[in-house]
Amino acid sequence: MRNSGAMLILTFIAILTLQAAGVSPPGKPRLTSCRSPEKETFTCWWEPGGDGGLPTTYALYYHLENSETVYECPDYRTAGENSCFFNKNDTSLWVNYNITVVASNALGKNISDPVEVDVVYIVQPNTPEHVTAVVVHDEQGPFVRVSWEKPRTADTRSGWITLLYQLRVKQEKDKEWEEYNAGMQKYYNVFSLHPDKEYMVQVRCKPDHGFWSEWTQTTYVKMPDYITRERSLWIMITIFFVFIVLILTWTLNVKRNSVKLCLLPAVPGPKIKGFDKQLLKSGKSEEVFNTLVIQGFPPTTDYDNLLVEYLEVYDNEEQELVLDGKDLSEDCMKSKSPSDIDSGRGSCDSRTLLLEKCMDGREGSGSNQHQYSQHGETRWASTESSESQGPEPGSPESANGRGKTWPVVFSSPKPQPHHHYPVGAAKPAYHSVPEILNHLSPHAMPSNYHQLNHQDIPQQEHRFSKPACRHSQSYNQFNLDGVDTPAPGVPPSPSLEYVEVQRVNPENMLLLRPLSDPNREPEGSDCTREDYSKVKEVTSNNILLLQRAMSHQCVDDYSQADQCTTQQPPHPCKPAVHQSNSGMPQEAIRVMGNGYVDSTVLMPSY
Amino acid sequence: FGLSLPAVAVLLVALLCLDPHCRVGSAPICAHGPSGCHIPSLADLFDRVIQHSARMHSLSNDLHSEFEQYFLPSKNHIGKIYRKCHTSNILTPNGKDNAQKLAREELTEVILKLLMAWRDPLFQLHQSMAHQQDFNSFSSNKALEMGDMAHELRKGVEKVAEKMRVLGMLGNSVTGLSAAEAMLPLSDSGEAMSDYELLYCFRRDSNKVQNYLKILKCRIVPEHDC
Repeated sequence: MRNSGAMLILTFIAILTLQAAGVSPPGKPRLTSCRSPEKETFTCWWEPGGDGGLPTTYALYYHLENSETVYECPDYRTAGENSCFFNKNDTSLWVNYNITVVASNALGKNISDPVEVDVVYIVQPNTPEHVTAVVVHDEQGPFVRVSWEKPRTADTRSGWITLLYQLRVKQEKDKEWEEYNAGMQKYYNVFSLHPDKEYMVQVRCKPDHGFWSEWTQTTYVKMPDYITRERSLWIMITIFFVFIVLILTWTLNVKRNSVKLCLLPAVPGPKIKGFDKQLLKSGKSEEVFNTLVIQGFPPTTDYDNLLVEYLEVYDNEEQELVLDGKDLSEDCMKSKSPSDIDSGRGSCDSRTLLLEKCMDGREGSGSNQHQYSQHGETRWASTESSESQGPEPGSPESANGRGKTWPVVFSSPKPQPHHHYPVGAAKPAYHSVPEILNHLSPHAMPSNYHQLNHQDIPQQEHRFSKPACRHSQSYNQFNLDGVDTPAPGVPPSPSLEYVEVQRVNPENMLLLRPLSDPNREPEGSDCTREDYSKVKEVTSNNILLLQRAMSHQCVDDYSQADQCTTQQPPHPCKPAVHQSNSGMPQEAIRVMGNGYVDSTVLMPSY
Repeated sequence: FGLSLPAVAVLLVALLCLDPHCRVGSAPICAHGPSGCHIPSLADLFDRVIQHSARMHSLSNDLHSEFEQYFLPSKNHIGKIYRKCHTSNILTPNGKDNAQKLAREELTEVILKLLMAWRDPLFQLHQSMAHQQDFNSFSSNKALEMGDMAHELRKGVEKVAEKMRVLGMLGNSVTGLSAAEAMLPLSDSGEAMSDYELLYCFRRDSNKVQNYLKILKCRIVPEHDC
């Protein structure tokens, strides 16, 4: 008792001393793996656990399942350090091996954990051998044929072991391998490799139930440089499309005009007569705009005079307002239609109005009768023309807008490009006779003669008649030479007075007489209602502008317009005009249907 | 083997009908007549049979690993197998040399014995797996398929053996065609084996069968894959 106790204590002290000295029993070894390369032998490896500072020996012991007999490892050397090799005689398949490793040194031993192994399930073959990769040239393109042999130790010939192969390919620079399963065959064709590149090939194998072998050593193969079918196809497609594009471009080029028309239809540009784009491009705006300038437009000095004058003329307050304030064209147009009768309406076409204004201006501008400038006339023409869209151009009411003047119808002596006055270029088929300034009084002889010039007479010099109202001035013309003029303050008579054309004298003068003349000869007077025309204006040069008078009356007053001298435009017709109705042939002015006077009638037929 | 009477009769009839022109294969495709049908050669039969056995073994392998994974987490293999497999009575070669030493007939016989021994246990296994709720239907179906495969394989091997005999490769000394004993999966102690044990044992036996068949094939028809 005491001895054992003492022994124990001594052992304990010894161990402590030994541990202090750094030696100990061995650590526990551990079996790492057991492998069989061909299902006929197998090897187990273990890992020592630490020798404890003392030389340690290891021993492997095993026993088969359902058997208690323990055997020791038959071969510690063949497989190397810390291994145990079981040869064919010691290997039994389909039997569990219970294997342990014992480490022992001077101080003790240590036993590893047991491991159960069935050899059939730990088969890991050796690597395949003799791997070759050869480039094979085919009509489809070159490919690589990889071939190899089975590992030497594996007996596939007797069917004892069945191997499945696998290979992998990559370029040097690639990260990932491309793997292919070859099954049980010992060759494989690799396609789709890039030309002119070097590839690495490796092969491994596996039994039908077991572990994969290690990869073989790398085999290198270089692909030749060739054009793939795919690439040549793309080249052909590219060429084809380039060809198509070229053809399309050429076609477009040939047909570019029609294409341009189709894609970019012409946008009508502004057409300004006289506007020269080239000049504009050249950058000289003055020249461009100069071409636009109409000679004689706008009217200059006389224009001002005209304006001034016309501002003064008014019939009554309303009319003045009408005249001054509004767009006269509308007003006049509205008020005046060719068929309209302006009897006492006080519109701009009112005779009384005209009368008034002309009276007013008479004194002031007696000397200026002749001051009808071309500008003014043209001005009027243009105003008329510009507003001639409404009532027909022949109407005096039209085109009265701007200048607050008596509307007048001109016929331009020559076609002006900027007049789109319908009558402009052609010989008008009408006259218009401005309304005759007239007075009620039969003795208003001074006032009522005009010179009428047939517009149709080509020989006549066509000049612009005076603007309509210059009526004041025209009035002046009538009222020359001490004619008894009615007082300026003659109140405007609301009624209109019409002039009857009595005859045309040889000098191409129309002799007029007022209709209100009680002495009026009924000689077939064209006092048919519709046959009277108003004399609008007398121009300086034998032009009497007639206006169709749709008046129903050959009404109350008329004055006889007798002979007038034609020489001097400013000269009004002499009072002698009204003297007699000396049997001058009445020339009827046949009125055309639309209000125009038929000028043919007025042809001198005497 | 003890052949039952009907089996003997069938075999006798087959033998009587035997001649090279007679159809051995009974595949329904060959109903049209000799011209349109391909008579499987022995090599083809062997291939078919080997494929069967491979499929059977892989099924058993899957089931066994499922079992191990879900029902036996412990890696401790000690005492895992408490009992022997019921087929341990059948002498089977445990190495290549031993297997090659066996004659064809014996080898064929061993195969048939093994397959026969597993007929009923597999059926039991499927039944017990289907009833237990631990298994999902997938496993249960695998067990069923495994059983059917074993049955088919046995039939196939019998056909192969017959063909071999016809071809004169098998001597008359073969008794392998006698029906193998249907064995009950009873351990020595008489207790029924558990499902896991059955799976474990069958996995091993199916591997044996596959191996033996391959050896047989490469011995008899070594042209392909040998």
